[in-house]
This record gives sequence, C-alpha cells and structure tokens, in this order.
Amino acid sequence: MSDKWTPRIVVFQCQYCLYSEADQKWMDTQLPPHIKLIQVPCTGRISPLFVLNAIQGGTDGILISGCQPEKCHYKEGNLGARRQLDAFRRFLTYLGLEEGRIRFAWIDVSERGRIQQELAGLEKTIQAMGPITRLATRAIPVGEKR
Amino acid sequence: MNSLTLAIRQEAARLLEEKIVDVVIGFEAGTLPLKAQPAFITRKEEAEKLVFNGFCQNNLAAYLTRFPKEKRLGIICRGCESRAVRALVIEHQHDRDKLYLIGVPCTGIIDWRKIERRVGENTLQAREEGDEVIVTTRDGEHRFRRADVLHDSCARCLHPNPVGADIVLGDPLPEGDPERAWAPVLEFEALPPEERYAYFVQETGRCIRCYACREACPMCYCTECFVDHTAPRWTESMITPGGTQAWHIVRAFHQAGRCVSCGACERACPMDIKMTYLVDKLSYDMMQQYGFEVGASDEKQPPFAAFTLDDRNRFVR
Repeated sequence: MSDKWTPRIVVFQCQYCLYSEADQKWMDTQLPPHIKLIQVPCTGRISPLFVLNAIQGGTDGILISGCQPEKCHYKEGNLGARRQLDAFRRFLTYLGLEEGRIRFAWIDVSERGRIQQELAGLEKTIQAMGPITRLATRAIPVGEKR
Repeated sequence: MNSLTLAIRQEAARLLEEKIVDVVIGFEAGTLPLKAQPAFITRKEEAEKLVFNGFCQNNLAAYLTRFPKEKRLGIICRGCESRAVRALVIEHQHDRDKLYLIGVPCTGIIDWRKIERRVGENTLQAREEGDEVIVTTRDGEHRFRRADVLHDSCARCLHPNPVGADIVLGDPLPEGDPERAWAPVLEFEALPPEERYAYFVQETGRCIRCYACREACPMCYCTECFVDHTAPRWTESMITPGGTQAWHIVRAFHQAGRCVSCGACERACPMDIKMTYLVDKLSYDMMQQYGFEVGASDEKQPPFAAFTLDDRNRFVR
C-alpha cells in the first residue's frame, strides 16, 4: 500500500447532537476532505442500509455520533438506534468485517473537543488496519482515480 | 395414512361445519413424492384432501398475512408456525380471536435434497413408517433413518411443541437441546474472520435474487420490500456480489428478534444457499443481550421495538 493512502471516513451526525458551538462550527467548516459529514435528523433515522451502503461503497471507517440516552430531541429515537446499529455492527463483524471500522460516539454538550478525539482515534485504528477489503464490493481500489 | 392426518381432517371438517373459521390452511399431497403442498380448505367436504407428514415443507404462517383481517383462519400449527403466528399477532398482522390454531407437535421435516443426494432424482414414491423413511425409486426400495434425513433446522429445533394453540392433536414431544441449536452459530463465530467472509461470499455468490426465501418466510410481509424500491434504490438490483450480499445481510437483519428458526427460507431456496447461520446469530444475540426469544410470550415486543432507558450503560462505544 502506498504511503499516500488516507482513509475515507464517513461521519453520521445527529443534527441535534449537542456538540458545543465551537465543535459544531469545526465540523461544518474545517472538516478534512477525506471525512464526509452526513447530517441526519436523529440517529434513529440511520437505517442499517445507510451504513451498509457506505461500507459497500468503500468507506474505510464510519463514526456514528448521537446524543446521550436521555437527551434525544425526539425522546427515544436514539434508544432504538443504539439497539439496532449495535446489533448491526456485531452482525457485520460476524460476517468477517474487522472490528473497529464502525465506531459510536454518544456525545454530550459538555464534552468539548471529544468529537475530534473520536475521529482521531478512529483514524488511528483504520490506519493500522489498512483499506477496507471485505464487503466493499463497489469500492474503487486504492491507487486508482476516484 | 397416519392417525394425525385423520384427526386433522376431522377437526378441519368440524371447524368449517360449525362455521368457526372461513378457511383452514393445511397441507395436501403434492404432485411429486417428497413434497406436500399448502392447501386452503373452504368447504367441509374438501377436508378429506388434508394430509400431514414429514414432507410438509412450507411454513403455513406465511399465508396468514395474505388474507384480509376480517377472515377467520384455521391454521395447522407446528412448533415454528405457532411461534410465527404469535409474533405476527404481536405485530398486529391479524386478530388473535379471528384465528383458530390447530396445534400439532412436530417430529421434523424431511429434507428432500438429502434424499435426492442419496438416491438420485427418480423418486417414485415416499412414505414414513415410524422412525424410517421409505423411498421407492426405479432401482428399488431405500430405507433411511428419519434422523439422518431431517432438515438441518429441524434437527436442531428447540421447541417442537406448538404454543398458544386452541387445540393440540397428538402427544407432546421433548423440547430440543439448546447446545445443539446454537452450535452452528458458535462454530462459525470461532472461525477466523477471513474464512467467515469467504464462506459468506461463496454462499451469496450463488444467489439468483428470486426472493423465494422472502416469499416463504412468515415474518417477511412488507407490502414493498427494500429491494423492490426504485427511488431511492437501496441496493444493486442485479446479481452482482454487492447486490446479493446486501440482500442477504439486510434480509437477515430485518429478522433480528423476529425469526422463528423454521428454516423455510433454506428449504425454499432453489440454489441451496445456506442462510440460517445468519439469522441464527441475530437470534442468539437477542437472547443473550435482551433475554428475548420469539414466541416465548404473548405480549413481549421484539427488542428493536421495545427499548428503554435501562439500556443506557449497555453501549459504551
């Protein structure tokens, strides 16, 4: 693998996710180009199909960020999402996907700077693993033009 | 003819005569040996057509959602079917008081593929005698032990007795062995990831996207399946690796906490794709994490529908 490889990362973010203002601004304006931000109304909106499509399309790492359990804008949207997406991640691991490619962050407004930490942590794990190979059926191999 | 078939015919005739139900869903002899087919009986005289044996492959609960809610249905229910009916009633697919469940303890379904692999395709006749299956071909008679030719899902069946039936015909059977039931999942999980992925790719690679597994499944009743959507198109609709893998992953995932492990999907598959190991993993997780088993209770919602704040410390990362 070439030295120039940078992991492709997708962040699913709940739009009510209580990032502190500075963090949200950073997310909106200063996100590095290899990280794609997808805002959803609530983590409950994230169908496992979104995650699967991202993986099949060649995403090396996925971060799903949502609110703390009792802080959901829609009262219980994130509770359902937590059960579903956690089970889905375990299911993909069962099928041979490396553990650690999908990561969750349940962030509170007081945790300033945590999102940057989580992204850095995910990137470090992915760097160690290398590009995604399993389940990424629609991915363009590393080195070819995107 | 076995005594169970007789009892079923009598009961079906009685239900239709006393106008307790409009339709009795059961099995009749198919045009081929080894394969009985579903029958929908509406007149008492037709009840004579009903049969019940180990060659009844379908899960009859799959037909429950195809009738309007006003219809009163009588369904011949083995263990898996009765659990599927329960799950469907919890999901408001039919009113329980419009259903009459004729429970039958089940000794397992015979896998015609296992027999075909042993004797070839020229089966002329097949019958059961106690613990034996007797198959007549042009070469003569072959005898098999039932246990050797049972369908895999039936061999590891946990609950062969019907739950919540209105009447139970036949004697109750001993419950299955959980260790045996979960062995395939645990064995698969113990393999290295690359082997697991290779197996998954090999199995899904044969898929022709006929969706027979979906049609056979009692829990797959969506009026529009995610693979039939064209806008937005959720998955590739061709038989590309991406398309077939997405179909098998998401089909299984939609069954999480709902699958009754009847194995009807595998029996329906024309390409003989193994797929129960997928849903069984999810059922296993649901049992380990939430203590949920399909059909164990009359009112408990499946885990993805019943979430609480008690979960708060369950998912750390």
